[in-house]
Amino acid sequence: MIRIENVEKYFYRGEDRELHALKNIDLTIEKGEYSLLTGPSGCGKTTLLNAIGALDTIDSGKIYLEDREIGSLSEDERTTIRLNEMGFVFQAYNLIPVLNVEENIGFIMKLRGFDEEEIKKRVKEVATILEIDTKLSSLPSTLSGGQQQRVAVARAVAAKPKIILADEPTANLDSKNSKALMDMMRSLNEKEDISIVFASHDEYVLENVDRIIRLNDGKIIES
Amino acid sequence: MYSLILKLAFNNAFLRLSRTLLVIIMIAVSMSMMLSIQGLYDGMTLNMIDKTKRSDSGEISIYAQGYRLSKELADSIKDASSIQEALMTETRIDAVAVRLKAEGLSSTARKSAFSTIIGIDLDKEERFGRFSEFLKEGELTLGRRGVLLGSELAKSLKVRIGSKVIFSTQDSSGEINAMALKVKGIVQTNNISLDASAIYVDKMKLHKFLGMPEETATQIAIRTTSPGLSESLLAEYKSLDVKSFLELYPMIRQMQDMMVIFNSITFFIVMLVVFIGIMGVMYVSILDRIREFGIMKSIGLSYRLIRLQILLEALFVGLVGYALGALLGYGALSYLVHVGLDLSAFAEGMESFGMSSVIHADIKLSYFTSTFIAITGASLLSVILPLRKIKTMNAIEVTKAET
Repeated sequence: MIRIENVEKYFYRGEDRELHALKNIDLTIEKGEYSLLTGPSGCGKTTLLNAIGALDTIDSGKIYLEDREIGSLSEDERTTIRLNEMGFVFQAYNLIPVLNVEENIGFIMKLRGFDEEEIKKRVKEVATILEIDTKLSSLPSTLSGGQQQRVAVARAVAAKPKIILADEPTANLDSKNSKALMDMMRSLNEKEDISIVFASHDEYVLENVDRIIRLNDGKIIES
Repeated sequence: MYSLILKLAFNNAFLRLSRTLLVIIMIAVSMSMMLSIQGLYDGMTLNMIDKTKRSDSGEISIYAQGYRLSKELADSIKDASSIQEALMTETRIDAVAVRLKAEGLSSTARKSAFSTIIGIDLDKEERFGRFSEFLKEGELTLGRRGVLLGSELAKSLKVRIGSKVIFSTQDSSGEINAMALKVKGIVQTNNISLDASAIYVDKMKLHKFLGMPEETATQIAIRTTSPGLSESLLAEYKSLDVKSFLELYPMIRQMQDMMVIFNSITFFIVMLVVFIGIMGVMYVSILDRIREFGIMKSIGLSYRLIRLQILLEALFVGLVGYALGALLGYGALSYLVHVGLDLSAFAEGMESFGMSSVIHADIKLSYFTSTFIAITGASLLSVILPLRKIKTMNAIEVTKAET
């Protein structure tokens, strides 16, 4: 599903290359995979996740999403890919504060032009799975951290993306909420057949994924 | 999808209510003040034009060729009565006033002043320009020796109602002649030259005094609302001097131009304030929400839709400000149209410029339409800088921020 070939990424300060963030990365992620990018801080896991998610550009190499090369697309084309084929879960929840839970969950579906009835049905369905169906009319600011993260997950899965990329989704959650979130992600992975890639160094995540991709100093050392 | 963008724009525009309200109030107050100033400027000019037309020229005046330069009785219109009759049959003409004028000297026991004696028919002048409204003191009657004096002339001669004035001039045969007159009333037309020199007497009496035939006149003034009449009269009375109001009073055209410049400057300043106000609030609002835009960009909202949302936000603020400003402005203008602005404290200075001491504003639809267009434009332009910020932001960096 995702094929990464010889990817290199540098961070620059002005004209000068300051950091070689990804070094000669080769990786394949299959459909329905439940995997984790892990490693010490600064090893390049978030950078690689952003590159896979077409959030960031790469300096060389190729990234394919179902045989389409996405590494060299324009900003607009990458935005379209993110909207139609990917779902994102961020460490800081990143919900839209002026929209209620129902509107936040249905946000991507609306942007993709789904029918109102279909959006309503799907939002209810996902919210029930994630146990936030009683909070649909609440604003994000009135929810706990765990509830906000569940809304973020619901938003990511509602439009049935091909892949969900979750960057440190448990970093702001206590152990109880982390466990609940991981259980739900696993359930979505199995029920909806959605590929999920985590970037995390949380032990609990590490213990509960099918595949671990270990990075160090911008290189894959185990996959 | 667009309903979602509209909702986002609306909710965000009023998210920081006190900040948004402050900008809305700023727009509304500055706009209503600008509308009032525009209305007063225009009202002042229109008032001057109206009084000048009513007291003297009408929309068109006809003179004999050469009269306006020589001011000689020999250069009067010989067949004024038949011209007047012909004009009265013209449907495009609302009223006609025929006058006889002569320049001379008016004197009292202590003072004398250059004057213009004007022979008028009070009834016709009333129909022509509501002459009675110009009466400042005394009564509106002429009678055998009665006379109405311009307000400034009365001041310079130091006369009051009932005072006697001697007017002397050359009659049609070149003889110096004088008549004793009694002041019955003092009129203020706000037409500078008339107020400073006019002595109104009965037209028939002046004909006799000057030895001029009754069918003669020095001026035929016409009131009309038909814009093409001047050209028709020019073609019909080729031997006469047919002049439109603005040809007779070029200074008023200059004044109108000046008012347009004043209004444009006021308009520009107010729109600049509106522009800076909206830009300031939008820029701060976008900096506050930069993470939110980063999130939206990350999860797939295109820059095009983010731009639409921000433009709509600015438009909401601008248009609510406009609506409130239009209401306040309409209220202020309505008051100034009906009650006016009393500038009695400066009246002397104002009157010497031919203006009333109470200024009544004018109210035009164009004030509101031009302001609507300008505020819409200013709102849309004010987001250019904030949009650059969004376009150049790094979505990854801004979404990293802690909650």
